[in-house]
Order: sequence, then C-alpha cells, then structure tokens
Amino acid sequence: MTVFKGYMRIMKKNTGLILLYLGIFFGVTMALQAAAGKETYTSYESEKIKIGVVDKDNGPLTEGLVKWLENTHHVTMLEDSREKLQEELFYRNVEYIVVIPENFYESCMVNGESISVTKVPGSYSAYYVDQQLENCLNTMRTYLEAGFSKEEAAAAILDEKRGEVTMLNTDGNGSTPGWLYYFRYMPYLFLAVLCYVMGYVLMAFKKNDIPERMQASAVSARRQSLEGLLAMFVMGGGLWGIGMAGAILMYGKTFPGSENFGYYVLNTLVMMAVALSLSYLIGLFVKNSNMLSGIANILSLGMCFLCGVFVPMNVMDRNVLKVSQFLPVYWYETVNETLGSYSHLTGEAAASVWKGIGLEAMFAIAFVCMILVVTRYQRQK
Amino acid sequence: MPQGMVHIENLVKRYGDLTALNHLDLDIREGEIFGLLGPNGSGKTTAISCLLSLLKYDRGQVEIFGEEMKPDSYKIKEQIGIVLQNIAVFEELTVQENIDYFCGLYIRDKKRRKELVEEAIEFTGLEDFRKMHPKKLSGGLLRRLNIACGIAHKPRLIIMDEPTVAVDPQSRNKILEGIQTLNRQGSTIIYTSHYMEEVEQICTRIAIMDHGRVIAQGTKEELKQMIKTGETITVEAIALEEKNLQDIRTLDHVFDVQYEKQVLIVRCTDAKHNLIRLLNYLQSQDISFGRVFSELPTLNDVFLEITGKQLRD
Repeated sequence: MTVFKGYMRIMKKNTGLILLYLGIFFGVTMALQAAAGKETYTSYESEKIKIGVVDKDNGPLTEGLVKWLENTHHVTMLEDSREKLQEELFYRNVEYIVVIPENFYESCMVNGESISVTKVPGSYSAYYVDQQLENCLNTMRTYLEAGFSKEEAAAAILDEKRGEVTMLNTDGNGSTPGWLYYFRYMPYLFLAVLCYVMGYVLMAFKKNDIPERMQASAVSARRQSLEGLLAMFVMGGGLWGIGMAGAILMYGKTFPGSENFGYYVLNTLVMMAVALSLSYLIGLFVKNSNMLSGIANILSLGMCFLCGVFVPMNVMDRNVLKVSQFLPVYWYETVNETLGSYSHLTGEAAASVWKGIGLEAMFAIAFVCMILVVTRYQRQK
Repeated sequence: MPQGMVHIENLVKRYGDLTALNHLDLDIREGEIFGLLGPNGSGKTTAISCLLSLLKYDRGQVEIFGEEMKPDSYKIKEQIGIVLQNIAVFEELTVQENIDYFCGLYIRDKKRRKELVEEAIEFTGLEDFRKMHPKKLSGGLLRRLNIACGIAHKPRLIIMDEPTVAVDPQSRNKILEGIQTLNRQGSTIIYTSHYMEEVEQICTRIAIMDHGRVIAQGTKEELKQMIKTGETITVEAIALEEKNLQDIRTLDHVFDVQYEKQVLIVRCTDAKHNLIRLLNYLQSQDISFGRVFSELPTLNDVFLEITGKQLRD
C-alpha cells in the first residue's frame, strides 16, 4: 500500500487548508442558520394597524362599524378635510383611512357600493384590512337582509366570534427544517476542499520525472491506480463523514430520525462522487499551484453561485437557472430544496428527488468517462 | 557467445521523421559500469527509456536478466534501480519520507525497508538532512537524494541517466565514488553522460553514441587504440613561419599540425620520444616558446576522429 500511503502523506500536508474550509463551512452554516431561525414562525398573533376614520353618516350602523374597527385595529377619528387626511397619511400617523359616506345604509348596504378608503401605496397590511372591511360589510348586509334592524345588525357584527388560530406543527410539510441550510452549503465544502486537495496530490505525482520513476517501479500500473483511487475515496468518505457527523451534532436525533434522512445520505454521497470525479479531472490538467488555486476557486464558487448554494433558487433569475441545469450542483440543490419542503415525500416529490439524484449520478459518470479518455490520451502522448 | 545481463538488439525508435535510435545494439555484462557516452541528443535517454519499457519502440528487442523486457515485467523491474536525469522526488515529503516511499515500491517488509532507507541515507551522506524538504536542499544534495531514492532497495542493475548534471565538483566526486562503491557491492551499472572525463574515470566499458547508434564500443584503452592519435602536443606563445610548420609536419610520427593565435597543436601516432623530437627541432631553429603540454588521447579525440566533431559541439 505504498502508493496509498504516499497519497495520504501528501494529503496530510493540506490538513490546515481542510480545517480552514471546514471552519468556514460550519461558521457560515451556523450564522445563516441563526439568521434563518429568526424568521421561523412558532406562534401566531394578529396584528393591529393604525386606521383613521371619517364618519359622515353618524348613524347606528356606522357607529357599529367604527366599534368593530376599534376592536380589530387602533382607530383615530379624523375630520373631513382633504389636506388633513393627506397629512396624516404622509406622516404615517395612520396607514389606512376609511371614509364612511353620508347615507351609508342606502349607498353601501342597499345599493352595494364600496366604501371609500385611502391607504399607503404598496402596503400589504392594507390589503388585509380591505378584506376584513369587505367581510364586515357583507356580514352587515346579510344581517340586514335577514330582517335585523340597523341597531341589531350593528350589535351582531360586534358579537361575531373570530376564529382561533392554533399552530399545529412548526416542522411539518410546508415548513423548513434547520438542516436545509446546512445541506445547501455542503457542495461548496466538497468542491472547494476536494478540487484543491486532490489537484494538489495529483500534481505532486506528475512533477518532473516522478511518473517515469513510478512506471519503472515494481508496482503495477493497475495497482498504483487502484491505490490512488482508494486514497481518493478515503479522503472523500472522510469529508462526507465529517459533514454528516456535523449535521447529527448540530440537529441531534431529529435529523437521523427524520423520514428523509436516507435521501439526504444518498444525495450527499452522489454529490461527493461528483466532486471527487470532477476534482480528479481537474488534477489531470493543472500544471502548478497558481493554476490549481484559480481553477478550484472558479469552479467551486462559480458553480455554487450559479446553482443556488449561496443564493436561494427561488430568488434567482430564471435564465440563470436554465443555464445552471447543465451543472450537477443545480440538481443537488433541487433535491435538497424538495427534501426541505416535504417532511414526508409524496409520489411526485419522490420522483423529483430520484430524478435529481439520477442526474447527479449521470454527471459523475460523465466525469469518469472524461477521466478515462484524458488519461488514455496523456499516456499515448 | 553468451548474452550479457542487458541485451539490446537492432533497436529502432522514431519520432515522426526523426530517428532517435537507429538500429542500436548493446550488450552489457554483469558487474560492469557501462558508460553510454554521447553529445546531447545522441539518443542516450531514449535508449534508457526503451530499455525500461517507458517508451514503445518501433523495432528491435530488449532483454534483461535473460528475459524479454515488457511494460509489465515486474519481476525484472524489482531488480532494477533508476536514477533519472531530472530530479524525481516529492517536494511535499522530507528526505527520509521520499527514500522510504520509493524504496516501498520495491520492498514491502517494513523492518527491512527501514534498514535499507537508513543505509541509503548513510551511503549518500544525507544523515543531517533527513527531516528536510527537497526545496531546502542544494543542487548537489538534491542529486544525492535522487540517487538514494533509486538505489535504496539494493537493485542488481542500476541505470543512471546523467546523474551529475548541474552539480558542483565536490558533490560530483562524491557521487562518482558512490557509484564505484555500489559497483563493488555487486550492482551492475549503466551510466549515461556527456561528460567524457566522468565516463573515463568510472566506466569499465564504454559505448559512444551519435545520431541514435553506437559508433564505437569497448574499454577506454580499446577505444583509444581505434584512433590514430597517440599523443597531442600543445606549445603556447610560439612564433612560427610556414617553413617551420612544413618542417614539423615532416617529423617522424607527426600526422596533423595546427597553428593558430601563436598556439601550436601537433598530433602524433602512438610512439616514443615525440615531445623530445619536437623540442629538439625548436631548439635547433632557435625558436622561443612558452608552456608545453603533452596529452594522451581522450575519448573526445576518439569522438572527434570518428565523427569529425567535438563531443561538446
């Protein structure tokens, strides 16, 4: 196992670099995890906004409507002055203004006209108030049509019971497990470390007359290749093991106990195979450490930026994603996002996951074929 | 006649239109230090590469230890050590790790390998540098490390391709002494070089190569006997006229006279008293002169007479 040991000895010279990349990986993952954790909804609470009301009618129905609004939001009664209303809105003293017209009953209840509102442009909370107000008016109309008097209808809308919201599950379908972020960054760790370390080792074995010395030795070319491959698999396996152990340490039993655990294992393993084969292919071409450093950075960072490692896929440009489909990391990330979205995979989601993993594997096979062709060409040369 | 340890017959290697080896024949016997001498580009390294099956050749036959040498002849390769022209060591490993690695390609037993590595370190005088990385070694030490990596497993046949290129004279002498010691310890050595002094100093038999073929082969004495030159006399700071040169040409055993920039070079056949005859003539003509040298023929003279050019051209 001399060749194997030689590979391992030279790899060991890169321990510092590997630790650096691992530190960056775990640091970035934990930082993003912490940031993402703040956005996780674990409880529900309805929010009150500041509403201004101009009541031109002052009838029993509108009094009921104002009280209803007061129960739901912070209400300020305003005088009917266009300049004053604009000023209140401009200084954000109120976010939403309801102008109740004279003859509210005839115009809005009988004729079904809409109530006049003014809101801060682009405010999504105003959109919800629109819906709430429309619901309230519809309910009021229903009571009136059912024969309720104006006073009775006003009282009825105040008695209306509101539905209670209960958070059933914060980690089920539709929510995001914490390890989604962890596994999102894993391709960067694999690509950066393997491209650099494997390139470095392969470069060492190609320098000067070392290939001739190896070729003239008593160890067969086949055995040399096998021992070299074994060293690569040990390196890849070790890195993968650290990655998985990190996930288990960070997320405890929840992660290995999750239904998708097996898919995560498979997806990362296939990604590791892709990174290994790609790094070996690069190692066949590099001539010096500057070239290696450049290629390793361009490939790992470039692929990760294009394929949704650093920027989530859902905010990326569609055209960029179309190009990314020709890269293996895209399919890894697609699988990862699907696994993150489903705690239990439906038939369609499972098919999408298998398709992604299959395509990743195809990339690995393609890289291996390229390695064989290049190696053969180089030997003939 | 029994074949030698290494037998090369009718070897032809072409690179497109260029014929690097042109029907090369060599027979190297056990226990020899066999020198392959020739100018750069004469085909020495190509011959070594074909011998080791590192290169495919177009025609011919190579036998080592009586068996045909093929790329997968690992039993033969086990008994060969190579020291290549370029330094072939890992910059990432220390001196000791390098020797251990290359020795490990031949010797699997860890204990035995440890002993051999120690012996190789001692043999090449690298004891004080064992923990150092190659980048920190001088050119001479690097060459010694290169040799240690090739010979640590105590091979029966050692092939050295210009192992003293770009080495200081002190390290060169140490390397040459080491090669002779290896030979005394039982290894047969094939030594390629374009330095005729080195080859003359250590090799028991020599093949002179040019344009991919052997132009002369034998011991250094045999080679020198192949040529006309027996003695070369050089006289410095001498003023001669054409008549004097004609007179010198007529002296006994003189066959070539050159005179340029007040330096006279006279080549004579192998005979006694050539120098005395020349000096007597100069004295009789009352011609004053500076320093006088008398040299026996060198391998350069052999090469010069056979090819018409200097070895270092």
